[in-house]
Amino acid sequence: MSEAVAPTPAEQGTSLPLSRREFLYYLWGISIAVSLAGSGGATVWFALPRFRRGEFGGVFTIPVDQIPPPDTPPKEFPEGRFWLVNIGQKTLDDSRQPLDYPEGPGVKALYKVCVHLGCLYKWVDTNDRFECPCHGSKYLKSGSRIDGPARRNLDVFIIEAISAAGEVLSRTEPAMNSFEGTAVEPPAGTESFRIDTGRRVQGAPNSKPGGGV
Amino acid sequence: MALFRVHIPILDEVKSKGLKPALRDKVDDIFTRVTAGLNMRDVRGVLRDDLPGRPNPRLKPHAEGFWLHMKPTYYHNLVDGLYPTFRLGWLSVYAFAFEIITGVYLMIYYTPSPLVAYENMLDILSNVPFGRLMRDMHKLGAEVMVIVVALHMLRTFITGSYKFPRQFTWATGVILLGVTLILSFSGYLLPWDQLSLWAVTIGASMAEAAPPEVVGTNLNLLVRGAPEFGAGGLLRFYLLHIIALPLAGILALGVHYYKVILHGHSLPPGAENAGEDTARKVPMNVRTYFMPTILTRELWYVSVFTFLLVAYSAFVFHAPLEPHADPLVTPLHITSPWYFLWLQGMLKLGDKVLWGVILPTVIIGLLVSLPYLEVGPSRRYGDRRLGLSAGLLSVIVLAALSYMGTPHYAVPTSPDQEAVASLLPQTQPGPLRLAPWGQLVLGSYQAAEWQQAPTPAMRELLHTFDDEINQVQSSERQNVEGIMVVEDWQTDLKKVTLRVVWTDMTTNQPNEFSQTAFLHRSSDYGQGE
Repeated sequence: MSEAVAPTPAEQGTSLPLSRREFLYYLWGISIAVSLAGSGGATVWFALPRFRRGEFGGVFTIPVDQIPPPDTPPKEFPEGRFWLVNIGQKTLDDSRQPLDYPEGPGVKALYKVCVHLGCLYKWVDTNDRFECPCHGSKYLKSGSRIDGPARRNLDVFIIEAISAAGEVLSRTEPAMNSFEGTAVEPPAGTESFRIDTGRRVQGAPNSKPGGGV
Repeated sequence: MALFRVHIPILDEVKSKGLKPALRDKVDDIFTRVTAGLNMRDVRGVLRDDLPGRPNPRLKPHAEGFWLHMKPTYYHNLVDGLYPTFRLGWLSVYAFAFEIITGVYLMIYYTPSPLVAYENMLDILSNVPFGRLMRDMHKLGAEVMVIVVALHMLRTFITGSYKFPRQFTWATGVILLGVTLILSFSGYLLPWDQLSLWAVTIGASMAEAAPPEVVGTNLNLLVRGAPEFGAGGLLRFYLLHIIALPLAGILALGVHYYKVILHGHSLPPGAENAGEDTARKVPMNVRTYFMPTILTRELWYVSVFTFLLVAYSAFVFHAPLEPHADPLVTPLHITSPWYFLWLQGMLKLGDKVLWGVILPTVIIGLLVSLPYLEVGPSRRYGDRRLGLSAGLLSVIVLAALSYMGTPHYAVPTSPDQEAVASLLPQTQPGPLRLAPWGQLVLGSYQAAEWQQAPTPAMRELLHTFDDEINQVQSSERQNVEGIMVVEDWQTDLKKVTLRVVWTDMTTNQPNEFSQTAFLHRSSDYGQGE
């Protein structure tokens, strides 16, 4: 029956009982909505990129003679996206090193990507430190931040010291207080180092001017 | 310090009407804006199929909204059912939309370069979740679209719906048919496998055959982007496929559909002669309104057809992937896609300029000018016997030409090569590659002794081989034998050699033809589980 002058739409809307036809339409609408939601999920799954192991993301094996000697400038490995640094006594005695991050001697694999916004920092020999050209974050050879807008120390990859027989003699361990990766001092009998660029350890928080927590 | 007096309209309404009524009115307002004219009560009325009030609010989404502005508010009762249109026009648009959506999905993982296109296909088929499903859906949708568009054209011809005043609608329809076929053809190249490359090479060479010579040469260069198909050609076909043709299709579709609505869907031939205006004079008692009847029906069809296409692609239909495109080798039994078999059949008859360029152009010209040739005022079947017979004849000729386009006609090579090709074809995986790897037992087997074969798969293969071998026997070839040798070649790799030996009676010398295939345990030809 058509109503000529209807009461306010709001009142009308609530006074009508739910008919069977309407109910079935709502069910159908919900089922369409559910299947669309499922397709949305499937779309995300479809479109998410899948990472491949191999090249960067895989494991790099570096023979011991290619490791830089202690206290020499870092050596870069571009295919693996890391710097190899060998921390010796001079580096440990560096006055700029923040005291919150006690360092030990040994080898570290520093991820080449600055922990601020993703640029690749450079080694500046004159200043004896890493400097990032984008926003000026600066790091020591040990990976500790000493200046700039970065909020943590450099990330490291897990290193394993491998003997000639293939057994793991020593590896990167989490530091006592900060859980960042420690240096690996190659024990006697080390033939090569295995750097796993698929496993990265984040640097400890570091936001004080001059470095520190 | 003066603070800003913030004016929030909803709070005013809450104050005057109370919280619940104010919220209800707000929701009502949102409904009206989203549906371009229907408030909550009206929407419920649509779903309940109540009689609309006066003035009819269900006309407002058509008059004031964008999405429904071309859709008619009502249809004539006589075009409400499946007959006479079978909703093929609607289905064509659905197929087009389906292709656009599945195509965009595939674009996420495809790069149109010969260096990586095939690798992308392998990636999509094996490494991407739902990748194979998406590709199968896209291929299925393409074939469905070609079939539906052709059927739609056939139906329009049979019901004489192209007559005055709908002649130009028919002409835009011919344009859409061309767009559909070229879309399918350009997409065919993108996987960059053997079938793609050579089918499209033939097509481009047909363009090259266009007289006069300067037109043909330049057309060929434009299409291929180089003297031979390569990076330039692939990129051009890709651009054609993803933007140029869809854009042309959407524009032609706009004109086509607008004119359909302007003149109104043509009624069954008995109810409307040529020239009668059906759109403007539909009496109230024979109207079927778009809301709710046609709207819910079209939504239902979307659901049903999406389900059918997805289910069919998931469980039955699997698009094949042939070996990588090789510009130096044209495989035996190369064939065009089925909707162009008629063209390939014509090309086997003689001069490519006549059969490949002139005749197809004449056919297209005939199609477009059809409404101006068949001008009788009556659309009734009984009054159009000549035209309908001509239509039937064309369909039969098309079918015959399509058979001639298949590799069975005029193309088979010597029987010994055909025998081997029956097991090891050059354009498909074939029975040997699809046979279960574990059932290929090492050893040497005679085709004639297929019944003693050790496993069912080998029995079937050798039986087929034996049947084909018997065709090789002739007056010039006697003592024909077929031999299959299965060897262990490497870990998980078997080497299978198929040999046909016979004695040539003219020279009394033994002769042989053989072919080798290397089969890996984990080879997958996309044939499904």
